[in-house]
Amino acid sequence: MEIIINMWRRKMRTLLTIFGIAIGVLALVVMGSMAEKLNLQAEEGVKYYQNKIQVSSDTSSMLPAPLKISTGDEITKIKGVEYVSPVISTPLEKKSSGFSLGYEASITAIDQNADKHGNSYLKIYTGRRLTNDDSGKAIVGYDLVKKLNADLGRDIDIRGKKFEVIGIWEKTFSTTDTSVSVSLKDGQSIIYDDLPSIIKSNINPADISTGFVVYPTSGTNPDKLASIIQETIPGTVALGPKQFQDQVMSSVNTVNSIIYGVAVVSLFVGSLSIINTMTMSVSERTKEIGVKKAIGAKTGTILREYMLEASVIGLMGGVVGVVIGSIVSSILNSIMEATGDKLFLVTPRLVILSLAFSVILGTIAGIIPAIHATRISIVKALRGA
Amino acid sequence: MGEAILKLSNLRKIYITGNLRTAKKALEEIQKLSVTYEKLANKGGDSKILKEYEKQLNDAHKLFYDEKYEECYTSLTQKGISRGPRNTGVVIHALNGINLEIEQGEMVAIIGPSGSGKTTLLSMLGLHDTPTTGQIYLRGKKISSIKPGKLPDIRSKEIGFVFQSFDLIPTMTALENVILPLEYSKAPAKERSALAEEALELVGMSNRLYHTPNQLSGGQKQRVAIARAIVNKPAIIFGDELTGELDVKTTKEIMQLVTKLNKQGQTFVIVTHNPEVAKYCQRTIMIVDGKVARTL
Repeated sequence: MEIIINMWRRKMRTLLTIFGIAIGVLALVVMGSMAEKLNLQAEEGVKYYQNKIQVSSDTSSMLPAPLKISTGDEITKIKGVEYVSPVISTPLEKKSSGFSLGYEASITAIDQNADKHGNSYLKIYTGRRLTNDDSGKAIVGYDLVKKLNADLGRDIDIRGKKFEVIGIWEKTFSTTDTSVSVSLKDGQSIIYDDLPSIIKSNINPADISTGFVVYPTSGTNPDKLASIIQETIPGTVALGPKQFQDQVMSSVNTVNSIIYGVAVVSLFVGSLSIINTMTMSVSERTKEIGVKKAIGAKTGTILREYMLEASVIGLMGGVVGVVIGSIVSSILNSIMEATGDKLFLVTPRLVILSLAFSVILGTIAGIIPAIHATRISIVKALRGA
Repeated sequence: MGEAILKLSNLRKIYITGNLRTAKKALEEIQKLSVTYEKLANKGGDSKILKEYEKQLNDAHKLFYDEKYEECYTSLTQKGISRGPRNTGVVIHALNGINLEIEQGEMVAIIGPSGSGKTTLLSMLGLHDTPTTGQIYLRGKKISSIKPGKLPDIRSKEIGFVFQSFDLIPTMTALENVILPLEYSKAPAKERSALAEEALELVGMSNRLYHTPNQLSGGQKQRVAIARAIVNKPAIIFGDELTGELDVKTTKEIMQLVTKLNKQGQTFVIVTHNPEVAKYCQRTIMIVDGKVARTL
């Protein structure tokens, strides 16, 4: 209680200090919530592909060639492969914005028979799943519902074509949230329609595939199988679960470092205001400290008192920052919802981390002024020197 | 009167001001030599060696207090002196060999002109500062050379202090201010409130328990400060100009309260420049230039 009263002696100064910390925590929460969303998306992606191999065209080769459905047949022949599903993945908008802070909205199509081989990871929130015979039907990702004005039975426009919404995916925090699933046939047709007419004449839409998902037989090491596929089928890149995880987490970690780095720097700057406030507080209360020591206060008692005060300032700044940060993230999400880009996710982990960090930083910032307080000479303090 | 509760033996306090490196070094050497001498004496060392140490110390003291720091330092260390600027500093003998005893239950006034060393003496007695040389004994225990880490315990349990400007913690109520020394002395948490209320009742402040200092008059604040000083039932209470900021009427009331507490057995040492306050005390010690000039 005494700590709160002491802080309240100089309301404006305390409020400004809390505000300084709050801005730092606000940055930590907003940027951290962006990192949390990216992390979760990456984790969910890793989880989705934990027993699968992704095969795509080798774009680094001198003459990259598009994949064909027949490539899938070649993969099927490799020992340890249980099932191969062609995959179509293309941006939802014909003209991609070219810049997205999250995952870009996409159209995806997969062989629905893959369900039998463990593809049932994705759950339907409402409606039904696709079949290979469906045509002009779509399942919409959770975050795209608002953007596409989707509802069961309602038609949505995809690349100029009408698709009937037959389902909405349950929220997964993965790329599925920002994708529209169609049948393989429809997916192939969407890609085909966009090809230049000169190429169209030489390609059968049913032969188009942008990649494959390979399901290994039970007991087969998927990472080893990925290497074998890549070696066996020229012009392909095969990613096993471990390689995929390494690739994803490496990029996520880089983004995390940048995001958290910026936030921590701003919080550190905020903590300087605590040092300033506490130093002034010690200086103003020199006589009080002298009196306390004169009547028996131990060095540890004085040290604790001032460090606790700094921690409370840190905590209050943290609480204010978390609240404002959560509100800002939520507002930004609702603004971006219209575009299907919900970038921010305030998790309990982030809230606890932000509060703990602000308290720890507050405590550390309080150390120097607190030590200064313990070193005050009783005689000088009582004389007001 | 009872046994001696406080004894001062040849208490000295000097302050060296200015850039007087040699003086400081000489003083450090004297202090080192004193410590060695004391250790040897405690171990029952050879009397010849002890006498030699005594001689050295006496000579050094003499040279030092005659402000011949260079000679003092040279004779003690037999080393060359790093020559700093000479005679640019001043040694102030704030206390210059004070010997006195305060008996249990006594109420003593220390008077003297400004700058005579009264407040310095009180700082030594209250363990707010350490003497340069000499000893302070409280209840027969040498407290002047006690380890710094143990001083807060003695300050909170054995010593009470009343300041001129009351110095209550402004953010705390009267009750909380009085509880503070109980917290510092680690009194049982359950008993603290009752003990503080009892002390406040004794000084006639039981109806102002929850008032903060800014809601109290000067006299009331000093009563709370006295309650804070007596709450741990200390061996001795020191008052530093405790009526200095009070009017005549309130001064009288406060001194009557102090007298009442003294009659109940509490020992008081009051520093004052007010002869009217000294009249309440059984003994008055006059300090002039850091020395006891006379005792009345």
